Amino acid sequence: MTGGWSDEAQRHLDGEGPPPPDADERARAEAFLAATRGYSAWLRVPGPQVDRAVMEAVRRSGGRGVRRSVWRWLVESRLAVRPMVAAGAAFALVIASVALTLLTQPPNRPTAQPPTGGSGAGVLVRFELDAPGARTVALAGSFNGWSDHAIAFSRSAETGRWSVTVALPPGEHQYLFVVDGERWVQDPAAHAQVRDEFGQTNSVLVVGPRGVVRS
Amino acid sequence: MGRAGEPECDAEVVGRVLAGEIEVFGVLVARYRDAFARYATAVCGDPDLAADAMQEAFIRAFDGLRGCRQPERFGAWFFRILTNQCRNHRSRWGKHEAADPAGSVTVEAKESADGALMQGELRDGIARALDRLTADQREAFVLRHVDGRSYREMAELLVEREDVLRMRVHRARELMRRFLEERG
Repeated sequence: MTGGWSDEAQRHLDGEGPPPPDADERARAEAFLAATRGYSAWLRVPGPQVDRAVMEAVRRSGGRGVRRSVWRWLVESRLAVRPMVAAGAAFALVIASVALTLLTQPPNRPTAQPPTGGSGAGVLVRFELDAPGARTVALAGSFNGWSDHAIAFSRSAETGRWSVTVALPPGEHQYLFVVDGERWVQDPAAHAQVRDEFGQTNSVLVVGPRGVVRS
Repeated sequence: MGRAGEPECDAEVVGRVLAGEIEVFGVLVARYRDAFARYATAVCGDPDLAADAMQEAFIRAFDGLRGCRQPERFGAWFFRILTNQCRNHRSRWGKHEAADPAGSVTVEAKESADGALMQGELRDGIARALDRLTADQREAFVLRHVDGRSYREMAELLVEREDVLRMRVHRARELMRRFLEERG
């Protein structure tokens, strides 16, 4: 017999329905399930020798890769839990960066809007994305621990564009848009995109004390 | 709760490793080697290739640990690194004919041991049929049928919608059935 599985058989093979009514297909489905279970049990899988080899390599590296990353881990993506000393150092760097940028760059912000107000929590910045087919859009970045759902965009009924306004502290921020909870996309209107050491490219936004400096 | 002094959640472990306690990385290695070893073997189609892919994936994860943006989801992040490594190893070292993912024990020996020749042929057929699938289909099928994961778990690991994965597994089963029937 040739041909594909019936819908009933597919549901049964997914574990979501009774066996298919046709006796021949039922037998084939049960044999298929038994074969996959047998195949799974038959596999010889890597064991603790993998652990030993990995940890030997890690020790040989002396943790160089991790030490490189400690600084960025402290100052970039976990603002809420960073030690005060690191926060102070980071703040000093941010102020220096913003001051330098203010001196060298005119305000130019194609997607992020000037602040409509300010507070102790930061500067209000507006993000926009034209994604007509999207079901959801969220903002993830160094300012929210790269959470892929904490800052949700809303869609304008008139223009169809997605937007959100958030309060950001002064400094340089990296961010991405998360479309439909699964696709991480860059801001096409961002002034700069930077590639991190792990091969990911992020959009960059610089916020000054009085508004967006670069986006 | 874990043993005293042993970090329990991934985020804690990642934090300690990033703070310089590199030996603690071994907790993550043991945890996710155990969780994904079967997947790696089935996807690579060879236990030695799988061991190499897992080692490489863990070392890359260690080197790039600061790129793990959601340390509480280290497992999903590592899974994507592992999947890439499995694909690389499979294409780099070739996997044109199904090797014996069960290792050095011959099929005949195993059949004489369990006396289920027909079942053994089907099992061997599954291994060979997996080679005929695309990488996406193979990974989805293995997660569903070899690892026994739910579509929800698969969606989280593969960063894909459940309905897309369901269709992928259905398609894989169609192709495998066709292959098994042609094979007789």
